[in-house]
Amino acid sequence: MSEPAMELIDVKKTIGRKEIIKGLSFTINKGEVFGFIGPNGAGKTTTIRMMVGLIKISQGDVKILGNSIKSNFKEAIREVGAIVENPEMYPFMTGMQNLEHYARMIPGITRERIQEVIQLVGLEKPIKEKVGRYSLGMRQRLGIAQALLHSPSVLILDEPTNGLDPAGIKEIRQYIRRLASEENVAVIISSHLLSEIELMCDRIGIIKNGELVAIQSVHESTDATSKQIKIQMEVNPIAKAIELLQSQHDIIAETTDHLLTFQSEKESIPAIIKSLVNQDVAVYQVTASKVSLEDKFFDLIGENTIE
Amino acid sequence: MNNFFNLIANELIKTYIRKSTWVMYIVLAAIVIGAAAIVAAFDDTDKVSDNENWREALQAENEALTKENEETDEDDSFIIDINMDTIHENNYHLENNIEPIKYGAWQYTIENSGLLSVVSLLTIIIAAGIVANEFRWGSIKLLLIRPISRTKILISKYIAVLLFALITLLFLLIINWITGALFFGVEGFNPDIVLSKDGGYEAVSVISEVVSGYGYGLVNLVMMTTFAFMISAVFRNSALAIGTAIFLMFAGNTIVTAFAERPFAKYILFANTNLKQYADGNVWIEGMTLGFSITVLIVYYLIFIALAWVFFVQRDVAGQ
Ligand SMILES: Nc1ncnc2c1ncn2[C@@H]1O[C@H](COP(=O)(O)OP(=O)(O)OP(=O)(O)O)[C@@H](O)[C@H]1O
Ligand SMILES: [Mg+2]
Repeated sequence: MSEPAMELIDVKKTIGRKEIIKGLSFTINKGEVFGFIGPNGAGKTTTIRMMVGLIKISQGDVKILGNSIKSNFKEAIREVGAIVENPEMYPFMTGMQNLEHYARMIPGITRERIQEVIQLVGLEKPIKEKVGRYSLGMRQRLGIAQALLHSPSVLILDEPTNGLDPAGIKEIRQYIRRLASEENVAVIISSHLLSEIELMCDRIGIIKNGELVAIQSVHESTDATSKQIKIQMEVNPIAKAIELLQSQHDIIAETTDHLLTFQSEKESIPAIIKSLVNQDVAVYQVTASKVSLEDKFFDLIGENTIE
Repeated sequence: MNNFFNLIANELIKTYIRKSTWVMYIVLAAIVIGAAAIVAAFDDTDKVSDNENWREALQAENEALTKENEETDEDDSFIIDINMDTIHENNYHLENNIEPIKYGAWQYTIENSGLLSVVSLLTIIIAAGIVANEFRWGSIKLLLIRPISRTKILISKYIAVLLFALITLLFLLIINWITGALFFGVEGFNPDIVLSKDGGYEAVSVISEVVSGYGYGLVNLVMMTTFAFMISAVFRNSALAIGTAIFLMFAGNTIVTAFAERPFAKYILFANTNLKQYADGNVWIEGMTLGFSITVLIVYYLIFIALAWVFFVQRDVAGQ
């Protein structure tokens, strides 16, 4: 069932003396939507450029349906459709002329197929207009149309939600899910906003400073960290509470919206409340919630630092 | 193979779909038509009409010119020289019994062979942009992630540039001829014309003169275009490619003259682009032969192509 569509094998990229990608290994299966998340400068685009052969792989390899992008470029790339960074097309040509241009580069793309992808991304109306006049969202859609023309097995989208309105994001989410489930396409979506793609992904890979720091399935939550929950308390005085949590429970808490926020296990809540009350900290309210992927994401990448 | 024609078609479509390309053609046509209008308005091209008495007419003109020369100030040698040339040419007609033909489309086309440098200019602009623009637009990323090798894409772009040159050259020839025909009429199917050659005069067929007039210039066109293409592929910057290629095109002869005394002068590209020097017999630098020049040209050409290929195929396509 889970046949690999794309494999990354210890992929590294060194530019000059700087190692930008420090050995990425993961597999994306057919029919799976894989979210590739990381802060700005983490190396998402660099990794994607290596996946599609735009830049050389310093070490390691990328295999698409078993074909190496390095040694078997044509066979490998035949199965890939991609947008790398912004979907930049020829501004002086219409959307249709752009699609025809790319269609001419791969044998076997029919007129009907072009019409089909135009419908899929909902560009029927402006398709005869010059791309130079397109809005960012329209260009993003045309970029996806271009990537789907030759019915690839692997679809790589670098920040496809960039510039889309909420309705547009929802639409993309729907047809990406459909592509994966109905046509068994493996989809890789990069983003620095987890919330935008969380809903359409099966798995999320988190990259920071060129390293994969975690791979996490979106639906199941049976791993070790899932016992941790997010706890928010309304207390007074807050500063004293933070100090107490640190000294007595070894918990680092922060304040968000005047609420004390931290992660801990459910079992430790009574003890925490007790120690706060004992030290004359007033507790007005306690809420416990599951740690969301978002919280984990911030835990993993820490401050949004760019090295 | 079909695929390869599609690639070339793509490149030509991207070239001709842009308005700026059409502006180039309009400017070229405007120069040709404008020049014809000026010639027609100010030049007395009909002075020798085709009638029975062309001998008398030529003799009368010679006498008038000789008289004018005698009256002209000795210092004004420019006018005297021009008049002497005309007298010699007229004498050639008289001695060889060749009736001078009327001015017309063919001769207008030959006289405008200098406009080939405008074709070079336009082709350089296209060659300079054909790789660099893809980088500027960012479209290179989508172009290179197709099941086509970078080598093939580069070759298709180069062939598209050469086809552009060919189409533009044909456009120039046709617009020249039609404009000439409309303003001055047509001399005939393939008439002979009298031209100065090696100090004397000679009658040659007009079509062969068109071919040699434009043909020799093509060497320079192809070399400078290939140079611009190479800079475009290496530096991914069209302005740099246009700038250097056009500068070298105009400075070429000056560079050769400046270094004419040095032993390496004959290896300079521009000492070899003018193959007409061997037909005319006045070779620029002693010891150069046609074979030598062709060898030098081929070496430069291969270096340009190799550089373009290495950089285009090998270099990473990362953010600009
Ligand atoms: N050509 C280059 N030379 C040197 N460093 C580079 C080069 N290209 C990228 N980098 C560095 O590699 C790192 C990763 O860049 P990349 O564009 O892959 O990040 P990203 O994850 O896509 O970020 P973003 O979310 O901003 O798109 C950055 O720190 C960047 O400075
Ligand atoms: Mg990026």
